[in-house]
Amino acid sequence: MIFKCSNCGGNTVYEPSRKKMYCPHCESLDSENIVHDGSLAQCGNCGAPLTPGQYESAGRCAHCGSYIVYDERISGIFEPHLILPFRFDKEMAVELLNKEFHKKTFLPSSFLSQKSLEKLQGIYVPFWLYDYQAHYDFEGEGTKVRSWQQGDTEYTETSYFHIIRQMEADFDRVPVDASFKMDDGEMDLMEPYSYRELEDFDPKYMSGFEGEVYNQSAPELEGRAQVKVRNASETLMQGSLAGYSSIRPGRKELNLRRDGVCYALMPVWMYLYQYQGKTWRFQVNGQTGKVVGKTPVSRGKVFLYGLTTMFSVSAIFYLIGAILGIM
Amino acid sequence: MREYFRYFKWVFIVIAVLVLILGGVKGVQKAASAMGKHERTNTECSTTQRVFDYADVLSDAEEKKLEELIARRESQTGCDIVLVTLFESLEEYAREIEPDVPYNQFVRIFAEQYYEENNFGYNKPNGDGVILVDNWFREADGKIHTWFCTTGIVKDAYSDADIDSILDDVYLYVEDNPYRAYKTYVNEFYRHMTGKRFLNLNLPGWLPILAGIIALVIFIPANWKSGSGSKTTTAATYLNGGIEHFSNKQDIFLRKSVTKRHIDTSSSGGGHSGGGGGGGGGGGSHGGGGHSR
Repeated sequence: MIFKCSNCGGNTVYEPSRKKMYCPHCESLDSENIVHDGSLAQCGNCGAPLTPGQYESAGRCAHCGSYIVYDERISGIFEPHLILPFRFDKEMAVELLNKEFHKKTFLPSSFLSQKSLEKLQGIYVPFWLYDYQAHYDFEGEGTKVRSWQQGDTEYTETSYFHIIRQMEADFDRVPVDASFKMDDGEMDLMEPYSYRELEDFDPKYMSGFEGEVYNQSAPELEGRAQVKVRNASETLMQGSLAGYSSIRPGRKELNLRRDGVCYALMPVWMYLYQYQGKTWRFQVNGQTGKVVGKTPVSRGKVFLYGLTTMFSVSAIFYLIGAILGIM
Repeated sequence: MREYFRYFKWVFIVIAVLVLILGGVKGVQKAASAMGKHERTNTECSTTQRVFDYADVLSDAEEKKLEELIARRESQTGCDIVLVTLFESLEEYAREIEPDVPYNQFVRIFAEQYYEENNFGYNKPNGDGVILVDNWFREADGKIHTWFCTTGIVKDAYSDADIDSILDDVYLYVEDNPYRAYKTYVNEFYRHMTGKRFLNLNLPGWLPILAGIIALVIFIPANWKSGSGSKTTTAATYLNGGIEHFSNKQDIFLRKSVTKRHIDTSSSGGGHSGGGGGGGGGGGSHGGGGHSR
């Protein structure tokens, strides 16, 4: 599908700053008409052939530049339940990257150049959001140690306790990205998203951006969600055991019950940067603005600065020694 | 390049300020020593030589450097500074003068005699000055003895503890690097007599280099890689209502045990054994002290 302006026929896109559909040609707002012409193989606007990637659900026609949302990939079993619309546009994402990295000395100089930053893309990344009920049974023996001094004798008192805990915790919408393209660790670091802005899926939010359909099913990715829930449950349980000097666990039983799962699209600004034959990937959370990504390091610069540091420290030591007359 | 200078701006400023301070300090010292230069009034001294390396533990170049240093320090302190190294038994020589003298005092007798025979003394024969005699020969007691003999104003300026301190400094290096040890003797003497010393420390020259290398070793790995971001979720992020619920939470007291431990309050520490300092010189005109190794 393509969103076309009812006033001028131009391609309307979702504008995060206005939270409205916008026609860049006639500047009309919310003037979109959905046109279902075209297919995965052909642009509905100009008829040019299309070759979307295996998981691509929204993209741009290379020929006419129209933003296309692929009907087949957002309907039926691929229809997302929820979508978190982009909250800010590309200029803001560039600003956030600049803010994050402009003080980093050892970045290659082209890292934040205008030309490199033009390649910034807004992508709706597929996520599974899992709900879990966790039930944690814990029993063990704990000690509390207290010591005091009286005269020239030190007393150490050890108290032993039988600890019983039964904890119930409901975890809602634990996110796991369902895209091979995205690095799992880095996607985890992008969290959390504020779910208050989640909306029922509407394809109009995808116009102007790229998007993916889930690459793996919810059962396939459940393991990652369970690890997150287990870790969180463990942390919560440990929190309730604070105050003990040592704990010897007797029984530990953590049971998870999946309550539900839903398919959602989350906004990510992605910046790919080529340096020394390697691609470096940076993500900006399209809602919260959090920046995640390992920066390349110019090793030559590190060496130069390192040597300068070495000589400077030596010089300062020597000079102070000479001034004080101790060297 | 601009970025480079901006990064090291404060470091370079600190270095520049230190260079200026050092320049100032050196200038003041130079002016002070020029003003405080003493005129030598002893015309009866039999020699202009000050370094007598009979034990041959110094190279010719080192002797020359020491002579130059001594010449400078003499005019700054107004004292003769003499160094004698020996490799011979002084037993016969010393016992002839003082029959019952102990082994560690042989060098004292030699030092006093040598100073007097050569008419050393900056202001007059047998006047202000110092002589260090280091006899590398092991006497019958199996030890090498060293004497630091003071005369005139130096005798008053040096307490027994001061003498121990300067001999300790000499002994720090003497086995591995006699030149450095004797240079230390001259410089320490100069510092003591002129009071030009802020701290009683003498740091080795490799220390700044080591500090620089440590800085490098910390700097390179710290900047070699960059992190990808920090975690911004907690265990409670996805928790419904932000709180867990405990349907059963009990801490049942079982038992208690108490152990006692006696605290030893008397501290035990090893004492240092003395460095074998010597008493004052016998004749009255000389002071001094010795160390043995």
